[in-house]
Amino acid sequence: MTDPIALDPVLGPHERGWLPFNDDGIPHDERYELFERHVTGGGKVESTDWMPDEYRTGVLRFVEMHANSELMGVLPEREWLMRAPTLRRKLALTAKVQDEVGHAQLLYRVAEDLGKPREAMMEDLLAGRTKFHNVFHYPTKTWADIGIIAWLVDAAAIVAQQALRDSSYAPYARTMRKICWEESVHIMHGRDVVVTMMNGTDEQRAMVQEALDRWWGPLMQMHGPRSDRSKDRDIHWRIKAKSSEELRQEFLSIYVPRILELGLTLPDPKLRYDDEAGLWTYSEPDWQELRTVVTNHGPKSQERLDFRQHHWDDTQWVRDTILAARASA
Amino acid sequence: MTDTPPADRTPAAGAAGRGLEPWEVFRQEKDGDPMRHGGSVLAPDAELAVHYARELFGRRQESVRLWVVRRADVHDLSDPDLLSPPLDRSFKKPGGYVMRDKLAAARARSGQAKPKARQG
Amino acid sequence: MTALAGELVPATRNGLSLLLLAMADDEFVIGFSDSEWTGIAPMLEEDVAMSSIAQDELGHAQALYGLLAEVVADGRDADAIAYDRPPEGYYHARLLDHPRGDWAHTIARRYLYDTADSVRLEALTGSAHEPLRDLAAKIRREERYHEMHVGAWLERLATTPGEPRRRLLAALGRLAADAATVLAPLPGELSLVMAGIVDAPGDDLDARWRSKIGPTFERLDLPMPPALSDAAGARTGHSDAFRSLHAELTSVRRLEPGATW
Repeated sequence: MTDPIALDPVLGPHERGWLPFNDDGIPHDERYELFERHVTGGGKVESTDWMPDEYRTGVLRFVEMHANSELMGVLPEREWLMRAPTLRRKLALTAKVQDEVGHAQLLYRVAEDLGKPREAMMEDLLAGRTKFHNVFHYPTKTWADIGIIAWLVDAAAIVAQQALRDSSYAPYARTMRKICWEESVHIMHGRDVVVTMMNGTDEQRAMVQEALDRWWGPLMQMHGPRSDRSKDRDIHWRIKAKSSEELRQEFLSIYVPRILELGLTLPDPKLRYDDEAGLWTYSEPDWQELRTVVTNHGPKSQERLDFRQHHWDDTQWVRDTILAARASA
Repeated sequence: MTDTPPADRTPAAGAAGRGLEPWEVFRQEKDGDPMRHGGSVLAPDAELAVHYARELFGRRQESVRLWVVRRADVHDLSDPDLLSPPLDRSFKKPGGYVMRDKLAAARARSGQAKPKARQG
Repeated sequence: MTALAGELVPATRNGLSLLLLAMADDEFVIGFSDSEWTGIAPMLEEDVAMSSIAQDELGHAQALYGLLAEVVADGRDADAIAYDRPPEGYYHARLLDHPRGDWAHTIARRYLYDTADSVRLEALTGSAHEPLRDLAAKIRREERYHEMHVGAWLERLATTPGEPRRRLLAALGRLAADAATVLAPLPGELSLVMAGIVDAPGDDLDARWRSKIGPTFERLDLPMPPALSDAAGARTGHSDAFRSLHAELTSVRRLEPGATW
């Protein structure tokens, strides 16, 4: 079988208005094949198009995990909202956390339009049936963590999100463009917090280095283990376009120099750029740790899920109010 | 004070208890721009839908105008028989008028070269 | 602007400092308190909305502290005034000493505060102190959005039978004794009235506030806040809830006094 990516698109962009797989009259297998050719040829899919089950569930799983991660990602930073040491930092951090909530809203909306109600997604998240990204299972111990997370965790996320702006599922692609634009501010805020501390007292510098030492491991695990491109269904369906390793290399290329220029050190003695190979080499990340963490056995996984559950339960009456019929004249 | 609301209050618009619905949000980025679809919000009525639209699509002062419409009120047309009917309609588009060869023949007959575009 | 502050006689400058401190601390404390909803509000859309409102209040506080710094002119900047005081040094209204509570409590408190603040800001629209007049005008324009939101929620809670209305009434009950503290007369306010900085004293503002919320409370069959019994203590004697808030919000700053963050 030829590489699907090499096929010419069946239809030019000006013919998008009518896609043959939307014809309810043709047999399923033919629809599947037409759909597959459309997508692998660079075609886009809207929420109202026909989709094979495999595609629909694939997109939903991808988007749902992303939405869950934005929602859970609020919690590590939220603890420090109340402790921000200046008015400007307080405003910036509140705005950043607000953005994460906003991103969760945008992404859950995309998932809802694929057919899964928000309550069901919340229940699955809280019951541990669906997942969220590794970095949000770890504790935040100092104000320096806030700088490191806002700068480097968001940077690693944005490297992945930039690559999703051309996803085959158009509502998701459009949401990614909005999210990337908003995230760029977060990275600047994070870097500003870090640089300011690095230019400050010895204690502040030590705080930053200590935070970086703790977060480097999870950061290197964040994009996931290397995988075989040809076996990756998400890449096949063009839901995503870049592999884990491509994203990690991109992250390292941009951010390692920016970290080192501040006088910080990285806790991996093997980390270096191999000019001949044209790649970063590094100590193998602890994939066992990643597996343990994303199955909700991380240091803060259960505590954060319980926290979410508690506040979800506490505010059920408000959601019921929004849905309730009100008194009439 | 009772738990029962007063009998003579008039219900606000949209208190029909339809529940949460998606509302489409259109935004205008700057003066003169067209309204473009930005996304959607879940809301029980127009009042909160407008409020949430401002939050999700305007809290950074990135829009000068927002329209909010219940998704159920949007009338969708995507029928290919209406929008891409099969018979030729190229006479309705510039691409339906290909004159390259005819112009070459006319120029050959009149002995004139293709005119150069005038400056200014 | 410093020239203008320098033109004030000491009595007026003290009165103005107290007014600015009261307003700034009110916005600071309610902004901080309501920002706690970020990430845990009942609905994602509501979470974003409430967070914006809290941020607006903090922005107003920042601007007011900035103005205060110019009037007091003792070398402190807005952050130093905002953060580097012991709990007893804060001058916010007792209404804001209450914790955030549940959603009904937050809405009730917001409604009482926003309506009172609106009356206070209106009294500054013709202020002889130009920087305050300009800032009050800007804040008023932003506050309209808050009033829209909290008004919609008050309506919704008051008119939904059962638990929502019950919780709202319970919240108003808990807040009743402190509801009128925002507009309690301030020491030195008469000199401000005479200098044209404020157009009326606290008692008049309180009356205006009651005419403003009266029709809504009557229509929704909600109990009007009682008259303030302890005017002198309206902004003193802060609660344990506030002390915890204060301890937390100063915790990082206290690690390295004088450091830049």
